[in-house]
Amino acid sequence: MVRISTPTTARLPSSLLLDPSTTPAVSKTLSRLSRASLLSLALDWLSPNNLSLCTPYLHDPEREEEEDGEDEDDDFYPPAHSIADLQDLYSDLQTTKGSKREVLDRIVEGDWRHGVSLYQLAMADLQYLYDHPTSQKWSAYRILPLKPSQTTGSDEQEVEGEVDRESLIVPRFHPSTFLRNLQRQVLPDVKAHYNFDRHKTLPLLILRIFILDSPYNTNLSLSSGDSVGVAGGGGGGGGGSVVYIAFPDASPYIYLSKPTQSGGGGGGGVGGESKSLRNLMVEGIPKALSRPRQRFTLKSTNLVTRNLGELLEKRGAGRMNGAAGGWSIYAGEDGRRENPLDTVLPTPPLSEGDEEDRLAGEGGKDGEGDKRKRDRAQSPGTQRDERATKRRKLLAQARFGDTAKINGGRGVERVDIVVEDPFPLTTLTRKRRAGGDDGERGGREGDGEREGEGQRKGARKSAVEMILEKESADDEDHDPLRDQSGGKDPGGGGGGGGGRWRPSIRLTFHGPHVFAGIRQLVEHGIIDGERMPGWMTGEEGVTIGAVRNGRIRGHKGSGI
Amino acid sequence: MASDPSISISSGSSDSGLTEDRKRAERLNTVRENEQSSDTLVSSVLSIDDEMEKLNERANAEQVSTLQKQLRIQVSTLIASYTTGRAESRTGGTGLAQLIEEDNDPLLRQNLATQLAAQNAHNQQCLYRTCAGVTSFRVQDPDPNAVDGGRVLGIRIEAVRRAKFLRPYYVLLNRPYPNSQSLRVHRHTIPPGIPLSGLAARCLPPPQPDQPAKQDLVKFVRSLRREIVRHHHRLYAVSYLRKAANLNRRAAEMAGDDERLVDIYLGSADAEAKHVEIEYADGRTGRLVMGDDGELTKVVVVSDTAGRDREAVRELLGNAVRVEDVSSRLINAVRDKNSPERAVLF
Repeated sequence: MVRISTPTTARLPSSLLLDPSTTPAVSKTLSRLSRASLLSLALDWLSPNNLSLCTPYLHDPEREEEEDGEDEDDDFYPPAHSIADLQDLYSDLQTTKGSKREVLDRIVEGDWRHGVSLYQLAMADLQYLYDHPTSQKWSAYRILPLKPSQTTGSDEQEVEGEVDRESLIVPRFHPSTFLRNLQRQVLPDVKAHYNFDRHKTLPLLILRIFILDSPYNTNLSLSSGDSVGVAGGGGGGGGGSVVYIAFPDASPYIYLSKPTQSGGGGGGGVGGESKSLRNLMVEGIPKALSRPRQRFTLKSTNLVTRNLGELLEKRGAGRMNGAAGGWSIYAGEDGRRENPLDTVLPTPPLSEGDEEDRLAGEGGKDGEGDKRKRDRAQSPGTQRDERATKRRKLLAQARFGDTAKINGGRGVERVDIVVEDPFPLTTLTRKRRAGGDDGERGGREGDGEREGEGQRKGARKSAVEMILEKESADDEDHDPLRDQSGGKDPGGGGGGGGGRWRPSIRLTFHGPHVFAGIRQLVEHGIIDGERMPGWMTGEEGVTIGAVRNGRIRGHKGSGI
Repeated sequence: MASDPSISISSGSSDSGLTEDRKRAERLNTVRENEQSSDTLVSSVLSIDDEMEKLNERANAEQVSTLQKQLRIQVSTLIASYTTGRAESRTGGTGLAQLIEEDNDPLLRQNLATQLAAQNAHNQQCLYRTCAGVTSFRVQDPDPNAVDGGRVLGIRIEAVRRAKFLRPYYVLLNRPYPNSQSLRVHRHTIPPGIPLSGLAARCLPPPQPDQPAKQDLVKFVRSLRREIVRHHHRLYAVSYLRKAANLNRRAAEMAGDDERLVDIYLGSADAEAKHVEIEYADGRTGRLVMGDDGELTKVVVVSDTAGRDREAVRELLGNAVRVEDVSSRLINAVRDKNSPERAVLF
């Protein structure tokens, strides 16, 4: 036990023990887990690889002789005699039924009564993350190379570098080097514990950072201490923040989770603190990734979701990064059909790449194929309905491809869109003037759609408005780059009419899988699939965006 | 590992050079289909039709789908072989075109004509794709608000590995700039390990108001394809290296060598497929870095206790300058050690 605390800049050691009785974070973290997870966690701790950092409280004959006054029978959880015994015990518990409390008490008051190490705490936290994959909200950032700085040696000023768009360097990182550099970036009055772990099912490396606002790296600062009971922080004890950074394999992106307060701690000021912590991370990570003569920066990619699978698809190592939504037919995994040595005419002709043609072809075929013979008995009304349903399904297939399936397991929970288009009156009149029954019909439908959107917005105005305002403010804080590039975007300059009224419309889509919901609406004919703007299919791959001229402004589709 | 110099951009739908390529396609098809005469094919198609009727009644879906697949193959073969006849019809023979004209049923005639046209277009496309590494095509953007009326230029880059066509890579370009013909990458399926954005910024810069745009699509596609081919070659070199290391390990296990090489694999965080991790049985780890074209840049082996192990590096490399040299060296080492009783390995 270290009795003297000296401020250091070192990181918190993984072996640092936290006393469960004085550190609320321990029991809080452990009690979040299910009984099965707790048991497998305990067995993980007892496995030979982890044992050095997770030593349990064992029966010790020498200590027994010293403290002979204490009777072993009084002990509710008598210490085990060997690791193998403990392993058997927890394996037995796995087969029997019982309460979670029983296992939790056994861990906290029995086998690890002398304390749980930071490493164990990290493992427990990660176990929770695997059990509840959507418990964290991740934002994707892209690592971009910076131009070599032009500053001279005497100039000590730190100049914000310019993104080198012409660079051919694909950033990569090495975990231990990265960690060493990151530690150097962390301020000396903040202590952190780092733990790397490979995600069990996804190609991800997860770094858990446990941050403590204290210059000391002893367990005193965690307000534990065997019997001393001196509260290090005075803030109610042991509440550190936890941030996860996920590094997807073979791709220049980083996913950053929203910091969460671990343990009890004061509730006040968490919001501001966690935001500044995140900013600290966004600033520190690129510096940790950088090397001499090769500097990087992080740029937000406007994708926030709880679903790691979705992140890996849209910002991962695969082919879907620049081809989401309907374009995913080009990125799909079914490569067999695109072999040029196969001269069988593809049906539907995917190789033609023209979705409209494919749609027309399929529709025509269905109209006069075997189906027709079978449907002859039905009334013309049902037949028409069926054909309309079929057509809408095909339309949805054309617009969404194989993405946005409700049971696909990948989706975003929230999409915020700000529409900056001028009031559509002018476009409507233009269409009417152009004449033709088609234009007339389309215009009316468009009207209805817009009204619907307006109602949707109006109904939930109070809550949504507030969040959106916060989000947009967030955006401006975080992400001046996006706004700049949007302003410079030559493609966005099409509208330009300053005199026209631009109502400020903000749309928020909520749900377990937003784009699958929109797809279902298309399939049921509530949204006209042909006139639906592209951003509603999710092909831009963003969850926060401003729409101008019907397209997400500033975002260059593929992110280039 | 240098990229293939023969590269050309050809449009799959253009009419230029059509007759030449049709002749080539015909030759290809004749070679492929000459074992079966078209008459037997017609009869077999008919018999399949009959069988399908029967099976439909029994609702045996699985067999139906197999037969349908078979039917599709037969139909395309048939049409392709009739295409041959069609060319002959110009010189007096009989072909499908003539057959179409002779047929009285207008629906059937129309169907056959569209099918024939589609099959011809597809054959031509396949031919171009087989012979040229890069082909282009046109796409209609389904987004009603798309720029430039939704016109999109698609570029298809073929990837080949071990004499097999892989799924091609696509780059889709549009023209978003007002009053300018300049292109911009709209969508793509290039993995992040290939520096597409850098290449696009170099070869397809956005137009500046004061100076004319200097975009070079051919250079862009050529350098992009070069990067893709290199990437695949590097991946292949690493997998070959790994195979060699496995062979080496098995031989060393038999010999009871404690300092044997355990595994060589690609670094998981490396998008470019340039960093290779090396593991030894006694806990030493190493790393091999190669350049763009597979030349060795850096190799280092480190052990926890003794620091850098230069001896191991020398043993691994010899006088190799490329990654393939390391693989063949590993295999040769096994061959040298290989006594007659261990010949079972090969």
